Amino acid sequence: MNQKGLAKGLAVMLTAVSLLSVSGCGSQNTTDGVTEIELVNYKPEAVEAFEEIERRFNETHDDIHLTIESPNEAMTILKTRFIREDYPDIVGIGGDINYSNFLDADMFMDISDLELVNEIKPVYMDMEEALELLPKEGVYALPYAANAAGILYNKDMFEQHGWEIPETWSKFISLCEQIRGAGIQPLTFGLRDTWTALSPWNSLVVSLSPANVCKEVNAGNTTFTKEYRTTAKKIKELMQYTDGNPFAYGYNDACTAFARGEAAMYTIGSYAVPQIMSVNPDINIDTFTFPANENEQDNVLTSGVDLQFSVMSTCENKEAAYDVLRFLFEHDTVQLYLDNQNAIPCMEGDFELPSMMDGIQSYIEEGRMGDFHDHYYPSEMSVDAIIQTYLLDNSSGALDSFLSRFDNEWRRYNRDLIQRLQEYEEGER
Amino acid sequence: MKKGVTNWPVTILLILGCVTIFFPLYMTVIIAFKQPSEMTNSVAGALAFPSHWSLSNFAEAIRVTDFWHSLGNSVFITCATIVLTLLLHSMTGYAIGRSMARKKKYKLLYFYIVSGMFVPFAILMMPLVKQTAQMGLDNMIGVIILYLVFYMPINVMLYTGYLKNIPMAMEEAAEMDGATTWKTYWTIIFPMMKPMHATVAILTALGTWNDVMTPLVIMSGDQNTLPMAQLNFQSQFGTNYNLAFASYLLALIPILIFYLVCQKQILNGIASGAVKG
Amino acid sequence: MKTKRSMTHKDKTLLFMVLPAVILFALFNTIPLLRGAFYSLTNYRGYGTYDFVGLRNYIDLFTDIRVRNSYLFTFKYAVAGTILVNGLSLLLAMALNSKIKAKSFLRGAYFLPNILGGLIVGYIFSFIFTYILPAAGEALNIGWLQNSILADERFAWIGVLIVGVWQAVAMSTIIYISGLQTIPADIYEAGMIDGAGVWQTFKKLTLPMLMPFVSINLILSTKNMLMVFDQIMSLTKGGPAQSTESISYLIYRNGMDGGQFGFQSANAVLFFVIIVIFSVVQMKITGKKEEQL
Repeated sequence: MNQKGLAKGLAVMLTAVSLLSVSGCGSQNTTDGVTEIELVNYKPEAVEAFEEIERRFNETHDDIHLTIESPNEAMTILKTRFIREDYPDIVGIGGDINYSNFLDADMFMDISDLELVNEIKPVYMDMEEALELLPKEGVYALPYAANAAGILYNKDMFEQHGWEIPETWSKFISLCEQIRGAGIQPLTFGLRDTWTALSPWNSLVVSLSPANVCKEVNAGNTTFTKEYRTTAKKIKELMQYTDGNPFAYGYNDACTAFARGEAAMYTIGSYAVPQIMSVNPDINIDTFTFPANENEQDNVLTSGVDLQFSVMSTCENKEAAYDVLRFLFEHDTVQLYLDNQNAIPCMEGDFELPSMMDGIQSYIEEGRMGDFHDHYYPSEMSVDAIIQTYLLDNSSGALDSFLSRFDNEWRRYNRDLIQRLQEYEEGER
Repeated sequence: MKKGVTNWPVTILLILGCVTIFFPLYMTVIIAFKQPSEMTNSVAGALAFPSHWSLSNFAEAIRVTDFWHSLGNSVFITCATIVLTLLLHSMTGYAIGRSMARKKKYKLLYFYIVSGMFVPFAILMMPLVKQTAQMGLDNMIGVIILYLVFYMPINVMLYTGYLKNIPMAMEEAAEMDGATTWKTYWTIIFPMMKPMHATVAILTALGTWNDVMTPLVIMSGDQNTLPMAQLNFQSQFGTNYNLAFASYLLALIPILIFYLVCQKQILNGIASGAVKG
Repeated sequence: MKTKRSMTHKDKTLLFMVLPAVILFALFNTIPLLRGAFYSLTNYRGYGTYDFVGLRNYIDLFTDIRVRNSYLFTFKYAVAGTILVNGLSLLLAMALNSKIKAKSFLRGAYFLPNILGGLIVGYIFSFIFTYILPAAGEALNIGWLQNSILADERFAWIGVLIVGVWQAVAMSTIIYISGLQTIPADIYEAGMIDGAGVWQTFKKLTLPMLMPFVSINLILSTKNMLMVFDQIMSLTKGGPAQSTESISYLIYRNGMDGGQFGFQSANAVLFFVIIVIFSVVQMKITGKKEEQL
């Protein structure tokens, strides 16, 4: 290697680095009068539906070019993109604490002037409002699809044995005994994936505690020790009705076990259905609402916004973004998504619901629904792991130490929020 | 320790110990070839050969993980990193190594760079994500530059250490003949550091090829490296262990081939790094 | 740029040679380090606005149970791992350096784990721990084996440790072998004549000669063990019951994903300080030993 060549090489390398640092950023918004709109959604499992939606949109629109991305590990990717200050135009995320935080950081545009706002079912618009950390004027998200969590059950197995859908907690427990008596595993769990602990938790807590419990705790009016005690007791009881070690297997394993008929019931959300069907396409699944109470009338279905769209406040082409939203909420587009994802529409209108929701349809129609409580839990608090810890803890003081830990950590992770809420309250007065 | 007599007990123990190395690889291979229906819960079934040696899992894994694309990216990142590492780090190591004894500033510089070894990636990660994006480096080029920085401490240390074995007389003679320092370095010293180049190249290659974290947080868009494709694959198609293991095996094959071909150089390279570094 | 007269042509060339590296290093190591330290004084979430909170994040570090557990786990893991790795690889190195058949094959085989990526190795072992070992336990009727080790919060760290050690032993072994090869054979012959036993030979002859390599290996393996990440990501994701959350994993999880950018930056600064102290102490101790022997 000669000296000149090397010197040149080094020079080229250093210039390349400095050039790249200038030219790298900034995406063009218009090419030949076509507006580019980028939509990032957090559901990679719906990639096929979104590819079809993207194709249909671009076929019918000459002035706007839509790109939809459905990356894996989407929340991490989205957050790293925000850290990079590289924003898409529209995001499709869930109605959960992430949305609350993004909204709180003023990242979304007020879209109350979009006429679609009035076509969304009020129950879901209320959920959106409840997600605002501090009360905020305006509309920042359009709920698109909801999911529901109850108990998935193997319909054929139930019919074969003549088991009945339980409506109260004690009937549920005796059903579990009955199933066990038939030599079948009543429940399956995939608790190695900690987040799955939240599914039965949410379904129980929504019927056993007030919907606004987190806000009330923040306001200092109650404690989790008081509000969550029954739920905590009942979730532990469930552990008796599974075989083997529920902490050894993950979500995928539990889905597979359920699909193969190794268990009669699975306490997981409707989002697991495609996964289960991929293992056993012939399985006949239905859902029933978690009978958490002794009085059927008190039971509430857990249902939350699984996908909603928000326009980023940095979006430069508001009208084009609105056009994309209008297209997404057209009847056929919604139905396409629902069919693909077995989801519940958030929009008013006549849609076909998937058959595995038959058992909970009356709850949906009557609006007897409450949001997933974990949508209000700060993600860094890792409530799922706290619950998993509690379920693993077989000592006599487990319940009390779990509840007091919940309260303590809640105060720690929500310290800033609680303080801001107090300041806000004082400002209102 | 007499010459010529084979120590059979130790040989046998070592061969038995190899089971711990090859058993996981054996499992990977047979699971990759099996079909989901062949997966059983019994030990004998789990250890048995697949009923057919079908490549369908591999074809499917290549398709869903976009294997060739991620392989290309991994090869590009690793090769570019190695070439730039050898040029830049050896030069830096030389300049520092030859000046350290005489000049305090270079001694400080040496400690400044080597202290980078103690900086955990975790602390740099979050600011780097912001910084690389602002500089337009949230891509493979950015990842390569970062590797150049991350491996700088250890490589500079290795090169300066190795320089102690090369007598100053060589350069002094060349300089007497009127050659510039620049020229002396590239024509005389750089070729003489060949054994250390091998060591550096191997250590850097193993580190960059298998790294997940840097590309995961730095690269934006849908560019994948080989290990990253496995991470994404895992969350997406986790139920199908056969497909997953076929994909793992595919990801392992390039480095396994490389290792089989260059095994001697790799082992010697690391050994000489340890002795002379 | 004007240069001083005293600077010879050679000096200028040398300066030019270090400059690119120093610029890159400052730009992509020192500046982000300082920015990390800066963020550690804020309540930044990674996006949006933030406020200065002074040293609050640092004070919180010492009361946060999860952070404390992650330090306990990481140190327990690093200490056990370093001891195991060095003990095993020293034994292996001596075995591989003795008069054996198929030497190059065996050396090649024992190095294999090191070239495989930690993430993929983790996935493979995860399958073995979850399915193969419990099945074997069932077949052989061994009670403790029937439960997946990764599912028990008391033992999951051992599962992670096994994988970590399995991979790390390879590198240390090669370094020890190269160390053993620097020891001239006639020293042993002298030892043999004195009639020293195997243990005596090892203690009096081999170990002292190997001391520089022991210190390299101790530093390398402690550092790698302290930064454990890939194995956690693929084996346990920090569970069960948060019993295997390493410091790096917690910083990644909650800093990038969980909106604790500021707080975890403080954690990273503390981690950095601890690693520096650890390394300095370790170098001092092994340095002293080398002199003594």
